[in-house]
Amino acid sequence: MDFVQKKTADSAVEPFLAKAAEKGVSLVWDRYEESLPQCGFCETGLNCRDCLQGPCISHPFRDGNKVGVCGKDRDILGVHSFLRLVTHGTMSYLDQLTDFAEWVTSGEGSPRDKGQADKLIKDIQALLRDGGAEVMEEFPKAVLDGWRATGIHPEGVARDLFKVSQKLDGGTSSIEDTLLWAFKGALSGCMAQLLQGRLKASVFGDISPTDVEVNLGILQLENPTILLYGHFSPLLKQKIAEAAKGKTIAIMGVCTDPLVPPYSFSPVTNYGSQEIPLMTGAVDLIVAGDQCVNPSLKELAKEWNVEVVETEVLSGGRELAGFAQGIVEQAKKAFDGRRKVTRDIPPVKDTARMGFSPKGMDVKKIVDAMRGGKIKGLALLAGCNNVKFTQDHEIVSLARELLKREVFCVSEGCASISLAKYGLLNPQNRESSCGKGLSNLLSSLGKDLPAVVDLGSCENGGVTEFLLAVGRQPKELPLVACFPEANRTKAVARAAWTVALGVPTYFWPYLPVTGSPKTVEALGGFCEKTFGAKMNVLTERMEPVEKADLLMKDLKRA
Amino acid sequence: MEVIMVDPEKCTQCHTCSLWCGIEIGSVAKELSQAIHEEPQPVPRVHVEGNNFPLHCRHCEVAPCIDACPNGTMRRDPQTGLVYVHEPSCIACWMCVMVCPFGVIAPSSSQHGAIKCDRCRNMEYPICVDVCPTNALKLQETRKGLPEKDSQYLQYSKGLEEF
Repeated sequence: MDFVQKKTADSAVEPFLAKAAEKGVSLVWDRYEESLPQCGFCETGLNCRDCLQGPCISHPFRDGNKVGVCGKDRDILGVHSFLRLVTHGTMSYLDQLTDFAEWVTSGEGSPRDKGQADKLIKDIQALLRDGGAEVMEEFPKAVLDGWRATGIHPEGVARDLFKVSQKLDGGTSSIEDTLLWAFKGALSGCMAQLLQGRLKASVFGDISPTDVEVNLGILQLENPTILLYGHFSPLLKQKIAEAAKGKTIAIMGVCTDPLVPPYSFSPVTNYGSQEIPLMTGAVDLIVAGDQCVNPSLKELAKEWNVEVVETEVLSGGRELAGFAQGIVEQAKKAFDGRRKVTRDIPPVKDTARMGFSPKGMDVKKIVDAMRGGKIKGLALLAGCNNVKFTQDHEIVSLARELLKREVFCVSEGCASISLAKYGLLNPQNRESSCGKGLSNLLSSLGKDLPAVVDLGSCENGGVTEFLLAVGRQPKELPLVACFPEANRTKAVARAAWTVALGVPTYFWPYLPVTGSPKTVEALGGFCEKTFGAKMNVLTERMEPVEKADLLMKDLKRA
Repeated sequence: MEVIMVDPEKCTQCHTCSLWCGIEIGSVAKELSQAIHEEPQPVPRVHVEGNNFPLHCRHCEVAPCIDACPNGTMRRDPQTGLVYVHEPSCIACWMCVMVCPFGVIAPSSSQHGAIKCDRCRNMEYPICVDVCPTNALKLQETRKGLPEKDSQYLQYSKGLEEF
């Protein structure tokens, strides 16, 4: 039973918590507290609902009731719990990819580089069909050989994910074998993310470092405002931006890819506080996908008299330009109808330089600096927010610690938005945030690099591209990945393939596998033996400084 | 005195009470993720049996366990009326285990003593009542006549006997 005393570190969000309490509005933090204590069997992975003879649990404190009706013991339950999360997370990437690819093949996109787009579409089809995507060949040979030797290299969605999902149904596989299937599934997600990023580049052009403003202070008093929530076709985003061209309409984003060249959608806030923009009264229309969108938005939007347009519907919305035009018109009308609503915008915002890619960066210099000891290593920061922690506190404090200790930090997805809100993506704060060696390296890489380098949203394979650009086995270098405030199943899949690539990974909160000693051991020792990297499942409470100590230890070992 | 009342209609047999009792009262770590690996295995003081019924010690007014205990290990707190095990003097003879009409005293060989619910007498509130997600467990005063739910509980026990 963990009540989180301080809900958020974000000073823009905090005043709205008191306002919500006054109005009797229930927010994510209230719902979390009402759900406590959360089910302990689910928390430790000691439960199963995969058939109708259950639900089953393995009771840790009883002599009987240790094994499910079908015979799943605590270790099988634990490893299945991991497999279930990875499978679901992998589907998110495949969903994004196939959705986008479908729009492109239907001729909606008019890609900037048609030849490249066609080539990528073929590669995507190969990935889905038999896993034989050309992109695979870009991975270091030693990594690929390792994947082939253990049998986890992707062999197509039908072969891999259908099989992976049926591992949950039964069978007598060992814990290690089941775990390898989970990694096999996750690698499809890895390739999907990489291909989606490339397809986006071929359709819209490469992303390049772009200055965007972040946090609630960017909401506008005088203009109709559309917020794009979660993940849906970037082509729809492009069309909405095109439809709003020349009109004074603000289009911003929450938990969505902020960069669809030439347009950018400034992040208003991040996952943990995604309900708060509505409470400012300065939102006129919401366009929402499924992934990363809290269902609570619908009720809250009603309260503030805001319409939510769904993008992932069975019928309708099939003609993008018209759909986008309708959205813009609706926003204008909504703005006129909402003139009486007070727009209460907190004066908190920061500037962030986002969207770096290894293409425009001297990756060799970074590798040399690592090998020469000028910096202590490189940390990949990912994940979003989790209500079980003070919003942003863990990731921002950890990043600050690592920067001071000369660790090159790259971030991806919503982790970048967290860091941007506190100025860590603002080039002006670089000197004051970084240790001397790191600061020198960053300034030698380019004039305006911020302390933390954002490699794009989770719709791009920025981090994987970066690892490919490094050109050697990740396990040979002092690399570490960290998800300090993980939340979505996507993050679990993402962490799994990071481990398969050979990057030691830390994940908080602890994964729901701790009821199974064998699974925890396999994620550690077995993964280290197989991939040269552990997936660390840590149950102890730790301050960000202690977490930084732990990460530093891992970097030193490499 | 206050007793824990059970509403079987609300109990979903989720075992949350016994899990948390095992953590808070039975374990050394007091943290789920660590308690589940403890040796000896923590012993919960409440057991969820069939028929949606979490069973604890009822702290009987005429307690057979106190009468049967040969050396005064089983005691009643004069202030609260709660029956508890004075652990240092327990000789693990299991007399109390034999005479308990509810079978809620556990003979623990690994811990060399009888283990039973003391209704969290050193805590502000019984943990099982606190964590029950459906409010099937409630703490109620019995001294002034039967509380409302008591009659339901009695009817339920009668049903069990007939069954």
